Amino acid sequence: MQTTTKYKDKTNTGHLRPRELEAVYAISHAVATSASIESALEDITKIARPVFIFDTILLYLPSSGDLLEPVYAKVIGRGQSSDGDLAWGEAIANHVFTTAQTLLRQEEQEGWQTNRLKQRFFLGLPLRLGEMTMGVLVFGRFGGPPYTAEQINLAEFIAVHIAQLLGHKQLVDQIAKLEAERRLDRLQHDFIATVSHELCTPLGFIKGYATTLLRDEISWDAETTREFLAYIDEEADKLRELIDNLLDSSRLQSGTLRLHFQPMRLDSLIRDICVRVNSSSESNPIILDFAKSNVRCTADPGRLAQVIDNLLANALKYAPGSPITIYLDASLDKAFIEVKDKGPGISQEHIEHLFKRFYRVPDGNTSVRGTGLGLFICRQIIQAHGGEISVRSTLGEGTTFHIVLPLTQLKPVTSLSLEEKPT
Amino acid sequence: MSTTILVVDDEPRYVRLMEANLTSEGYQVLKALNGQEAVEIVAESHPDLVLLDIMMPGVDGFVACERIREFSNVPIIVVTAKGEERDRVKGLDLGADDYIVKPFSATELLARVRSVLRRAQNSGSVFQQPIFTHGSLRIDFARAEVFRDDKMIFLSATEYRLLLQLARNLARILPSEQLLSDVWGSEYRDDKEILWVSISRLRQKLEEDPKNPIHIVTRPGLGYTMPPLQESN
Repeated sequence: MQTTTKYKDKTNTGHLRPRELEAVYAISHAVATSASIESALEDITKIARPVFIFDTILLYLPSSGDLLEPVYAKVIGRGQSSDGDLAWGEAIANHVFTTAQTLLRQEEQEGWQTNRLKQRFFLGLPLRLGEMTMGVLVFGRFGGPPYTAEQINLAEFIAVHIAQLLGHKQLVDQIAKLEAERRLDRLQHDFIATVSHELCTPLGFIKGYATTLLRDEISWDAETTREFLAYIDEEADKLRELIDNLLDSSRLQSGTLRLHFQPMRLDSLIRDICVRVNSSSESNPIILDFAKSNVRCTADPGRLAQVIDNLLANALKYAPGSPITIYLDASLDKAFIEVKDKGPGISQEHIEHLFKRFYRVPDGNTSVRGTGLGLFICRQIIQAHGGEISVRSTLGEGTTFHIVLPLTQLKPVTSLSLEEKPT
Repeated sequence: MSTTILVVDDEPRYVRLMEANLTSEGYQVLKALNGQEAVEIVAESHPDLVLLDIMMPGVDGFVACERIREFSNVPIIVVTAKGEERDRVKGLDLGADDYIVKPFSATELLARVRSVLRRAQNSGSVFQQPIFTHGSLRIDFARAEVFRDDKMIFLSATEYRLLLQLARNLARILPSEQLLSDVWGSEYRDDKEILWVSISRLRQKLEEDPKNPIHIVTRPGLGYTMPPLQESN
């Protein structure tokens, strides 16, 4: 036998007895201080149970469409031994959800006189926020007695609070979602702005100086002509470097950057790079500090050179005038490389982001050009060799990049397909 | 006297590019590597034209343009790396006379310079008033600094803009609605209380006797004015 009745209480207009009043305060406090719906329901169960007896408490929320799904269920007291072979009040939950009203339902199955689990009293409460029904809270009681008006009032009070918690959680979730979208938007916008600025700057110089030399009405002297041509040449190189970086970065994203492993000597590679860089930069002397000579390893020499080049270029850019030390050592199976400058250093808040794609330390100095791709590419290359790159920096003292590189490649990775971690 | 052009860009290579082309045409060239320097050079050296880059660290081209317009109507061409329309519109709204988008050719640059200079010559008077005095009150527009009896007074950005409106309209009565729209924005035109509070704060800072103000005077029912004083310029 089943009966469902609409609960309408006209006689009791919220006069609570001291014990219930105390429970009301405690519930309000628990809801206000709870970290989650689950912990609030745990607390509410503990507080409300002495005031009115219930054996099950269930929270149903709509999942897809209007289908209700239980998201919280708890059995207390009677029925705890029945191993989940319980009626949970699904029927009343659906009914409450569609009518948005508090309902009482009594179910009596055969043998209810001897087995109290077969006589069930359900109290279903809509969780309403404004016009919206956000879910249903169901209390179940086995074997009576039926719920009193005071108990129903208290249950409705609980339902109001749970609804507010749900509303709050929904808002928090929405804000987090919007924040994430906004961050992504900003990152993409910044990237487009940076890349277009970085592409336009060398292009602007090439166009400007080329058209200057092409002016019909004026003939420049040989020295000026040479100066302008040198600018055009340098800016074309910068443009090529930028395009290479963009291509590498997109190949790293798509996993199509190929590495060509071969036996090589790390010390020779570093020495060659230094000779080349030293000849073009007199302001930053490069000091080689090799603890071991003849460091052999299996690696992609072109890509490793790209990493060292990049670290040196950064030191020249951000620590102008500072000496740069390259340290090399090796154990039985690993090589250790350090690139160290005595520049202004990088503050701690930026260190953890340094290897992220497009990240640039916001120093307000736009005359130092860059896209925020270099270190990202460095890390990907080193990781593809099975190694690690990290950075340590102290403001006012300088910055050191550390590379740990395995000397042999157990399973040579021939192409990179590393997922970029979300920033 | 030859025409003097101030070139402002944080990229020395751009400064060199413009300098080479402009001097080849007989112009005198002044150089600045940031916005603040540009405002100061305009105030001190009164160039005939400013070529002003927008993307600069610190005081950028937009801010520099706005600051220069507070005391000078020298022709300004904004140079922008961004071809975006809103940047060009913003530059023009802030009082720039023309814009040129990077990358540009040398001949385009020179043509723009000639065209803006020609227009400026036809329109006549160039005013430059980097320093404004009103009794014991002195405003240095180039540095956005205000002094009372040679002592620097710290004003909020809103207070400074309010004072600027009154100073630039010396002897004119400015209705509250106009001051509110100009300083706070048109959506504030009816919020008279906020104007009262700011006027009162300004008087506390600027007037010797805030109860009997001489710099900012209320004209009941009409608005506010900075009345002409004998020694004001």
